[in-house]
Amino acid sequence: MTTVDRGAVTRMPEPTREWWRPVTWAVVIALAAWSLWGLDARWERLLDAPADLWDLGRLLFSDMAFERTGDLLVDMWESIAIAWLGTIIAGIVALPLSFLAAENLAGRFTTLVVRQVLNLLRAIPEVILAIAFIPLLGLTPMAGVMAIGVGSIGTLGKLFAEVIEAIDDAPVEAVDAVGGSRLQRLRWGVVPQVLPEISSFLLYRFEINVRASAVLGVIGAGGIGGTIAQTLQFKQFEVAGLGLVIVVVATIGVDIVSGAIRRRILRGPSRG
Amino acid sequence: MTDAAVDRLPPRPAPGRFTVLSGLGALVLTVLTARAVDFDPTGLVTDLTRPNSVVEGLLDPDWSQIWSRRSRRAFIETLQLAVLGTAGGSIVALPLALYATDYGAPNRVVQVVLRLINSVIRSLPDLLWALLFVSAVGIGALSGLLALFFFSIAVVSKLTADTLDGIDRGPIEAGVAAGASNTSMLRTAVLPQILPSYVSFVLYGFEINLRASAVIGLVGAGGIGERIQFFQGRGEWDKLWGLVLLFFLVVFLVERISIVLRRRLV
Repeated sequence: MTTVDRGAVTRMPEPTREWWRPVTWAVVIALAAWSLWGLDARWERLLDAPADLWDLGRLLFSDMAFERTGDLLVDMWESIAIAWLGTIIAGIVALPLSFLAAENLAGRFTTLVVRQVLNLLRAIPEVILAIAFIPLLGLTPMAGVMAIGVGSIGTLGKLFAEVIEAIDDAPVEAVDAVGGSRLQRLRWGVVPQVLPEISSFLLYRFEINVRASAVLGVIGAGGIGGTIAQTLQFKQFEVAGLGLVIVVVATIGVDIVSGAIRRRILRGPSRG
Repeated sequence: MTDAAVDRLPPRPAPGRFTVLSGLGALVLTVLTARAVDFDPTGLVTDLTRPNSVVEGLLDPDWSQIWSRRSRRAFIETLQLAVLGTAGGSIVALPLALYATDYGAPNRVVQVVLRLINSVIRSLPDLLWALLFVSAVGIGALSGLLALFFFSIAVVSKLTADTLDGIDRGPIEAGVAAGASNTSMLRTAVLPQILPSYVSFVLYGFEINLRASAVIGLVGAGGIGERIQFFQGRGEWDKLWGLVLLFFLVVFLVERISIVLRRRLV
């Protein structure tokens, strides 16, 4: 064991070769090339785009209409309200569904069906839902609430179900052992265990929904998005710019507050 | 053991101050927000249960849209937008994330500036990006492409940055000790560690972009959204749902494939 194989030391390790790597690359490049040729995007305008963007940025942010701050904050509050109510509605619907989607609580067939329903709901963007709700509820914030609400059920239900599947079985068995009904089993065996994580997921979804609801106004479902879209359309750039700043600041603010509460919920009270 | 001791339940622990306060806070917020949007449950139920063409169209969608030339072109344009936006955005996102880390940033100024760019890009949602590009560059697919490009940067760089924070620092030290430049250290010591996660984030970004590419057309940024708006304006809900459902069938299939691939990667 004293001689060292010099060749082995100076040789670099062999790169791993797997057949699927070149195939994947070929597929990706072919897709990109197909899109590049096929897309009728008036590429000549791409060269002007940086200048156009710069001009728009200057129009938006050089001379913001601060006298409109109050109105815009009211609009932003409406967006936040839409997001909160939507999240609450989604949570109320998603919780029972998630019991049915959890494999440790419901039968195989039930979980399979409920999960597919949740997946389907998850695939539809809120904006499409808003388009469907606007003719039913009018150009009102309620259309936004319903779009956000229905759009969040899928994701929340799936996340809740995953939390429920990870619980400790002992408390559930204990409730069964003292003769608890099915409902009592959920109330005392399951809910206390999952409540912290579920409320933190609700808050997380609320953060996402604040962004989503700021957008819904663009198509007329209430909130600050509508103001931004209209002022851009009528070239009142000084108002639109301030609106964008308010959206960015408000979403970051909501993230910070809600993130702090989430961490406190999951970590429990800090000691020392 | 006396009977009294058995019958008596253990005292129920009182809820903590935090639980009470946050519960109350949530309740107050719910009441305030319900007022802000004029929440009216009975009106809601009557509005939603009234017979209407939206639901009728959903129950009896017109699948023939895929054979109409204009709808098919919009459909393909949507797919192409998602592919190009994701590809371009992901390529830019990688260096943005790498040079914003503690170990990869050439200096503090670059790091702070990159982090600022990252968080500003991130805080705007997809449709607002599309709206901005439409008003800067004009109506058309180019605006949509730029919107999806920036949106991909946001998604992929955020996720990659989180992974970069958690990597093994050993190879970095080895690279620096061997005298590697910053860039070659990143290439040989950091990149191999995050590549599988990065590829899975790109796939995830593609899923999100596919969904976003359906809606950016609503503000004039190309793709299927323009057709959706067209049908909405004419009240042809059966055609609208036919097109939308077909599209989300494609999204659903892409998602399944992508999830399988992502599982293999990580």
